[in-house]
Amino acid sequence: MHTIRIWFTKTGEASYISLLDLQRVMGRALKRSGLPVWYTLGFNPHIYMTFACPLSLGQESLVESVDVKTEENKPDFAAWQAALAPVMPTGLAVVRVDYARIKAEQIGSAAYTITLPARAAQAVEEYNRLTEAVVMKKSKRGEKPVDLKAHVPALELKTDGESASFSVTLPASETLNLNPSLLLKFLEDRLGLPAEECAILRTALITKDGEPFC
Amino acid sequence: MFDPKLKQALARVQKPGRYTGGEPGSVYKDKSQVDLRFAFCFPDTYEVGMSFLGMKILYELLNQHPNWWCERAFMPWLDMAQQHRELGLPLYTLESKDPLTDFDIVGFTLQYELSYTNILAMLDLAGIPFYAADRDESWPLIVAGGPCVCNAEPIAPFFDMMMLGEGEWQLQKVCETVEQAKKEGWAKRRLLEQLAGIPGCYVPSFYDVTYQPDGRVQSITPNCPQAPAKVTKVILQDMDSYAPPTHFVVPMVGAIHDRAQIEVLRGCVRGCRFCQAGFLYRPMRQRSVGMLNEAARDLCANTGYEEVSLTSLSTSDHSQLEQLLDEMDTWTPQEHVSISLPSLRIDNFSESLIEKTTMVRKSGLTFAPEAGTQRLRDVINKNITWDEIEKSCRIAFKAGYSSVKLYFMMGLPTETMEDIEGIAETAQRVVDLYYSNPDKPKGKGVQVTISVACFVPKPHTPFQFVPQDTKEQLEAKQQHLLHSVHSRKIRVNYHDSSTSFLEAVFAKGDRRLAPVIEAAYRKGCFFDGWDECFRYDVWLETFREFGLDTAFYANRTIGEDEITPWSHMDYGVSHAFLVHEYHKALAAQTTQPCNRQCSGCGANHLLGGPCFAYDTDLVHENR
Repeated sequence: MHTIRIWFTKTGEASYISLLDLQRVMGRALKRSGLPVWYTLGFNPHIYMTFACPLSLGQESLVESVDVKTEENKPDFAAWQAALAPVMPTGLAVVRVDYARIKAEQIGSAAYTITLPARAAQAVEEYNRLTEAVVMKKSKRGEKPVDLKAHVPALELKTDGESASFSVTLPASETLNLNPSLLLKFLEDRLGLPAEECAILRTALITKDGEPFC
Repeated sequence: MFDPKLKQALARVQKPGRYTGGEPGSVYKDKSQVDLRFAFCFPDTYEVGMSFLGMKILYELLNQHPNWWCERAFMPWLDMAQQHRELGLPLYTLESKDPLTDFDIVGFTLQYELSYTNILAMLDLAGIPFYAADRDESWPLIVAGGPCVCNAEPIAPFFDMMMLGEGEWQLQKVCETVEQAKKEGWAKRRLLEQLAGIPGCYVPSFYDVTYQPDGRVQSITPNCPQAPAKVTKVILQDMDSYAPPTHFVVPMVGAIHDRAQIEVLRGCVRGCRFCQAGFLYRPMRQRSVGMLNEAARDLCANTGYEEVSLTSLSTSDHSQLEQLLDEMDTWTPQEHVSISLPSLRIDNFSESLIEKTTMVRKSGLTFAPEAGTQRLRDVINKNITWDEIEKSCRIAFKAGYSSVKLYFMMGLPTETMEDIEGIAETAQRVVDLYYSNPDKPKGKGVQVTISVACFVPKPHTPFQFVPQDTKEQLEAKQQHLLHSVHSRKIRVNYHDSSTSFLEAVFAKGDRRLAPVIEAAYRKGCFFDGWDECFRYDVWLETFREFGLDTAFYANRTIGEDEITPWSHMDYGVSHAFLVHEYHKALAAQTTQPCNRQCSGCGANHLLGGPCFAYDTDLVHENR
């Protein structure tokens, strides 16, 4: 049995589907594709699926992935991609199909591109001048303070007409996961960034060793 | 990508996936290449609307025309409706995100009386004037279909046209006419005159209604030569002439009924006297096994659903149901598809049905005895006996079920407190039955849930003449039921009677209610079918302001020769038959199912011949 990793985008309409809904959506897409995916055994068999590093509702991504299993001896990945392409909903586009080479536990960080209105550039400049940027991070065990500056010392803003953007890499491991919305919330609350007009796009997943997750 | 205002709204609301579209199976077209745009509006939430089969049928049919584009709109939930208002974002369809005002036809489906205010809310959010008289050619044509059209007089002034009966053929005919009108630049009046000539199409403004001093209708008269004195519903004479839809828009966020649905038959042979659907959809017609099996298979393959429901008013009345299940069982297990039967009758529930529908997964068990005593079941013509209930429950318990849900109504005609006690007794006997079963699963208790609805007398049924119980009467009966239940194994669910009361007022209402509905909406009444939004006091106050008596509509006996607000609507069943059935009900006499013996309701005229070949099409014998 092989573990296959299907890479897909989650943009536009599809960025508003929660992980729970995504599981159902992906299960049905796999079923429509007719691909020989493995079903769990037991009383209530269902397609085996695991998603790496789930994305928050409303954020977009170019690097989502789901692992499935197959009993095919030598899966033809081009054929898998061709079978999936026509059955995926708007915004969920299959980018690549390959063996799962690295375990999801090895993910250490994620890179994002944040788009904002150019008129709000001053919030980013002010952030760069701060010595600390403490936010409260909520978790199951309660709230704890995190200094964003320790992870993101400075933001490099690129302006393109009325719109501007910056890239940021944040921890995304099992021990520490920082959602980019924490950074935006800080910029909004403290520095006047209009967060509702900003967009978050995940562009890469990186392992703890600094390699691309694949 | 989305309009910035829409993005802003989506960031602020619960479950934004309801407002984005993009689901698998949704249809996108190039609007510059399209001659006719139809906005199919469901006046309730996305979750409710996406469960509705009628929308799927018509969505697929209309979109098969390359130059027509049918899109969907739903009533946004409170938080999203507020965002529409705050941000000045007009109500849009999920596919193109264009506002409803960009469409040629805006069509509402009327499934439930308490969604009437949501229609006004949707028009309001789209910036469309409420009254048909205030809209010229520049506005979309506002139309309606669905069961409540059988007496939609309370909202008739808001609509340009309404459609009686089944939409497969009719709605395409309407769209063709509107397409022609658009190309040739007809005035609205000319278009409406043409539409009035299409079978089943009702143009409310072409009828004048006068009232007697006591409030009863005096006359309903057409004021236009194209308008027939009586509008007769249209039906598909042959259910096999239209295959069931095999492509659904598959919701990505929780629809209530999120599964494949195949409509096995339309209409119902049973003739339960309280059931409006049973009279509106006559005569019963079924699809052939081959067509159903093929459609079910295609639908599951196209949607990815792993559950297929065989839907209808009474699925076990399909004369070849066992054969259909056998055919489906040849492919469903390996496709991981389970089959569910949502509307089983107690009297033909068999062991083999249980086996065939639980090959993959086991679903819950629900029966609807509707009344607690045999006398009252005879009154309502729900022809089942305790022996049949006992037999079905015994089979279910033997198959490993340990929870049963029983549906009842209260406030039925001729009902006494004895009948209410009968509900509790029926549930208790089911509990006792479970414990008398020697094979019952060890260590597992039984759970019997009784769900009791308040009876609402509906137009076009033999009970249209009867008054609804008052709120006080219904509440006393609810209390009596609670006191009659003595077992912790029995759970009682009942519903607030005030929503049923408003439902009765609307169901039997006339055109004078339109301004009341408008005023109540302006005061903030919408989503009336949702307990958390229902504002009974505001409704009562608004009726008082307009000098209209709610009891006149809900709690009054209607004379057998009275002109009702819906007397110009012909659903194929004769008035004489309704009166005859009413008399039989009062005498607790039952009527045979249509497929066993024709009772002469008149609906066979719609077919142009008898509904059944009585020598071959026999109802299931009790097994």
